[in-house]
This record gives sequence, structure tokens and C-alpha cells, in this order.
Amino acid sequence: MTDAGEESRRQAIRLALHSGAANGAGAVASAAAVLDLWHQTARQLEPVIGARGVEVLFGRALHLTARHFSWLPTSAHGNSAVSLEALRACLATRSATEASEAGETLLLTFSALLVGLVGDALTSRLLGASWAPNEPPTQAQRPM
Amino acid sequence: MNHTVTIRQLATGVPGLDTILGGGLPEFSFNLISGPPGSGKTTLAHQIMFALATPERPALFITVLGEPPLKMLRYQQQFSFFDAARIGSAVRFVDLSDEMATGDFEQLLARIALELEATSPALVFVDSFRAVMLEAALSGAPSGQLQHFVQQLGLKLSAWQATTFMIGEYHSQTEDHPIFTVADGLLAVRQSVHRNSMVRQIQILKMRGQATSPGVHTFRITGAGIEIFPSAFVRDDSGAAAGQIPLPRSAQRVPMGVPLLDDMLGGGLPSGFSLLVAGPSGSGKTLMATAFLAEGVRRGEPGVMVAFEQTPSQSWNPAINDMVRAGTIGLINTRSLDLSIDEIVHHLIGMVRRMQARRVVIDSLSGFELAVAPAFREDFRESLFRMVAALSGLGVTVLLTSELEDRYTDLRFSPYGSAFLTDAIIVLRYIEIDSRLLRVMAVVKVRDSAHSSEIRSYTVIAGNIAIGDRLRGFEGLLGGRPQSTPDDSQHARHGTGEAP
Repeated sequence: MTDAGEESRRQAIRLALHSGAANGAGAVASAAAVLDLWHQTARQLEPVIGARGVEVLFGRALHLTARHFSWLPTSAHGNSAVSLEALRACLATRSATEASEAGETLLLTFSALLVGLVGDALTSRLLGASWAPNEPPTQAQRPM
Repeated sequence: MNHTVTIRQLATGVPGLDTILGGGLPEFSFNLISGPPGSGKTTLAHQIMFALATPERPALFITVLGEPPLKMLRYQQQFSFFDAARIGSAVRFVDLSDEMATGDFEQLLARIALELEATSPALVFVDSFRAVMLEAALSGAPSGQLQHFVQQLGLKLSAWQATTFMIGEYHSQTEDHPIFTVADGLLAVRQSVHRNSMVRQIQILKMRGQATSPGVHTFRITGAGIEIFPSAFVRDDSGAAAGQIPLPRSAQRVPMGVPLLDDMLGGGLPSGFSLLVAGPSGSGKTLMATAFLAEGVRRGEPGVMVAFEQTPSQSWNPAINDMVRAGTIGLINTRSLDLSIDEIVHHLIGMVRRMQARRVVIDSLSGFELAVAPAFREDFRESLFRMVAALSGLGVTVLLTSELEDRYTDLRFSPYGSAFLTDAIIVLRYIEIDSRLLRVMAVVKVRDSAHSSEIRSYTVIAGNIAIGDRLRGFEGLLGGRPQSTPDDSQHARHGTGEAP
């Protein structure tokens, strides 16, 4: 269940990053696509789990992602404009592939954290259509 | 012609809640759910929300500090009523803790208004409202400002035709707070821990415009959510259960299934009576109860047994087992130590109705008292009274057993003073005659009916009670140390049915 959900989220992220970066080539366009998708995600979640909730999850996701991409900025863990600008700048200095990979891992890690906290069904629900373009939101799979 | 407004009552979806609310939740009411941490406030709110919210009549759940929304969603989804598929369409969560943190009530009010305009919710929940009050105190906002805020919010929500719940940990010292005046309904939940047991309780302190069930009701939280057990049958001054006409006690007699016992009772136990069978351990109380149920089954009358006695390792009475398997009697077997009497009565009455049972056995009151949470033991007698009254209201014939200590210096029938609760009493005793332990029984009371006054011996043979003759030639039998009456001692030996 989780694996299928994770795979579909990975596909959704790839699709969004790919179409976002289609306007231009190179790391700058990739970085912009990552940030765009992130802003969209944060907008979707903030009303429900609060800006603070989004920020701590993002900080943790960035920390975990930096284990695989050691060049990511780990000093600024927030969702603040400054931290995000630092992230964009950092991604832009890498190759387009690296930027896309790091962005994909970051967003996937973020969603995995959310799944860990509130489950697959609710995560799909909260992230909305933008994260699951290929399938309608899954029916709630209740534990009891 | 009726010109008054009709207030629609909403079904809350919480089993038992509509009953104690007096029919349901008044539409557009402004309610407060109060209680200490962990008492089930948020669960109650969520259960009501998921029961009532539809895409046409959506719900808005506003979190203000208190429990972080992520955590709330994580834990609440464990309940079966939580339906993630409806989030977004019928149910919206909004976190306003940032607005709250500014301490600017006007801004918070404006933001809430904005959310109301955006979704036109039929249901609004604010969790926790206590946070609002605390924030006001911390930020040093003049109390007038908070009062103004509460009144404005109450007004705005009524104008928006939303049924509203404010959730919070309100304590007695804040009870003069304006919110208590503004609220139409006050639902107080609490949990009390007594020794090793925990009991959850709910009380409707106020509900404008309708007659609620007064008093404290117990509830339980399971995977399905909250289930409330309305306190059994609150009676009005006439002594009749509300909405019920007392059943006339028929002249019909109920056979007991023990040969000769019906004769002792004056022709069987009057139908609808409650009978207390009191006796020491091993005297055959459960056997008599089993015979009573089996006789009912033989006559096509289903029965229900509430058992508190046997531990799982002990083999349960095979006769009862067979009847339960055959579906002719229902068994409520409980060893839980945190039950409320209302919960047991709720299950019992449900089963009696379902099975259309005519006979009920409670075995035994001593076990019952142990099973009941310590917090309720003080009221045990009162609760027993309510239970017996509820059962007699259903017209069933009830047999209750009671452990009697082997104290021979006094003539007692039950340790609870419960003798007056029942219509009939049979007492079982051990006595010593000729260095033998014999069993005797007597019918002590059958209300409004002639009955035998004899003390008869009885034996237990292969799980059956066989009643013998009257014990002649002795006195002081119930004291346990009988004395022969000298001129009749020869007769006595024959009377016991024993060889000399």
C-alpha cells in the first residue's frame, strides 16, 4: 500500500518537475521547478496543519535529504523565504540532473514524513490533485 | 396556528448522546465541550463532525494552538468514524494558530469570518478555545476585549446559521466567564481514576430549549469512537419511567425448574418479580439460577444471564454453555473491573430486547460489585435499585444471586441491604447435624403472596437440586447450630432423609 503510494507520488513529483523545467534548460530551470512545486505543496498544507507544521516537516526533510546530497544547505532548515532562496541558489549551482534528483528526493522525503504521521490516505487527500495527477484520490483505508 | 420557531434537532451520531441531550443537538446552537486533557473532547467533536458533515452542509474545524493539527489528524484517524475521503469536500481543517499568536482578537475574528464566507459551513468547531482565553490573559488584553470577542463570535456564528462547538479545558474558576453565558449548550466530559480503574463520564450541564437527562452518564471510547450509556431510566415523581406505563404484574406464575420449589413459593415465582437467592459459597445458587433459565428455555422463554463469577480457567457450567450455543439464552460474561452499572444495564436491556427474553439471571451481586469500578461502589445499592426497576419495567422475571458469608450469629440475606430491592427471597444455608454438613433452604419472602414457611433440606445430585422434607424436630437451624426439640428428635432423623 505504502509502496504503491510512494511510487505514485514519485511519478507525480517527476512529472511536475519535468513540466516545470520544460520552459528552460539547465539547473536554474530545475531549481525553479523544485521551488514551484514546493510552494504549491506548502500552500496546500498550511491551512490544515499550520505554517509551523509545514516548516518543521520541511526542515526535517531537508536534513534527511542532505545525507544523500551533502552539498545541500543544511544550516537553514526553515521554510522561510531566506532559507528557500538559499536552497534555490544552491540547486542552481549544480547540474540540471543533480538539481532535479535532489529536489525529487527532498519532496519525496517530505511526503514520506507526512505519510508516517497521518497515513497514506490522508496524505493523498491533503496534498491534493497536484501530487496525484494520474489517479483520483484513493479511498480512505481505515484501520478498523 | 403555531407561530413559534421549530428548532430542528440534529442526530449527533454518537450512540447515547441524542438520548441524554433530549432528542438531539439543536440546530444553530452554540455549544461548549469542556473537560480536562485526555477526557475525549476532540474525539467527541470529531465523531459529531463526521456524522453530520456533508458536501452540502460542510464542517469547518479550526485549530487554535492546543493540539497541533498534525498530531490530531494522526490520532483521530484511528477511529472508524474518521473518513479521510471526506476531508476537503465535507470537512475542512483550518489552522489559525499563527493568527492567534498575534493576540489580536479583531484579526482572529476577521480571519474566522473570512473562512466562514469561503465555505459557508453548517458546522464550526474551534479547538481549543481555552487557548484563546489563555492567550488573552498572557497578552494582557483587557477582559472586556475578550468578552467582546466571544460575544461577537457567538453572534457571527449564529448569524451564519452554523451549529458551533467550542472545545476547551474550562475549569471551575473560569466558570463565570462570558462564554458560559453565551453558550446554548454545555457538555462536560471528564475521566476519574480511582485506584486501578478509569471511568469516563459526561454531563449535559445546559442545553437551551430542551429537557436533557440530568445526572452523570458514563461513556467508553473504543475503535468506533465514543459510546454513551445513558443513566438507567430516570424516573419522574409518579414513579413510572418516563414514557412508560408500568406493566401490570400478572397473576401468572413462573415455574422455577426445581421440583417442589414452586410449591414452596406458593405456586411458582410471580411473573415479573425479582428474586434474591442468597447463600454461602457452594450452596447451589448458580445451579438454581441455571435450572430457572433451563425451565424457561423448555417453555420457549428465552433468557439472559449476566455472569461475573467464573474465571476463564474455570470450566463454565455446561448446561449454560449448551443453552448459549443453542442461542436460547444470551450470556453477558464480564471480568472487566472498570464497568459502570449503566453500561452493564445498557448491554443487558439491549440483549433482553433483542432476544425477547422473559427471564434474567444476575450471578452474582458480589461479582457484580467487584466488576463495577470503585468509583461506583458507593452508589452500588442505588444503582442496583435502578437496574431492578429497569428490568421490572421490561416485565422480565429476574433472579439475582448473592453470596452470603458463613456468619451464623446473625440472620442476614445479603451484604448489600439489597433484600428490600427484590420481591422475593430464598435463603440457602449450611447446617450441622450429627457431624454432617447439610444444606437447607427457606422462602423468606414473596411479596403479596402466600408462601411456605418451612425450612427444607436439599441435596445437590449430579448438578441438580433435590429438595427434601421439612426439617422437623430442630430449632435454630438458620443459626447453623440446630438443637433438637427433645420430643420430636426421632422424627427429625427421618425428616432429613438420611439414615440414622
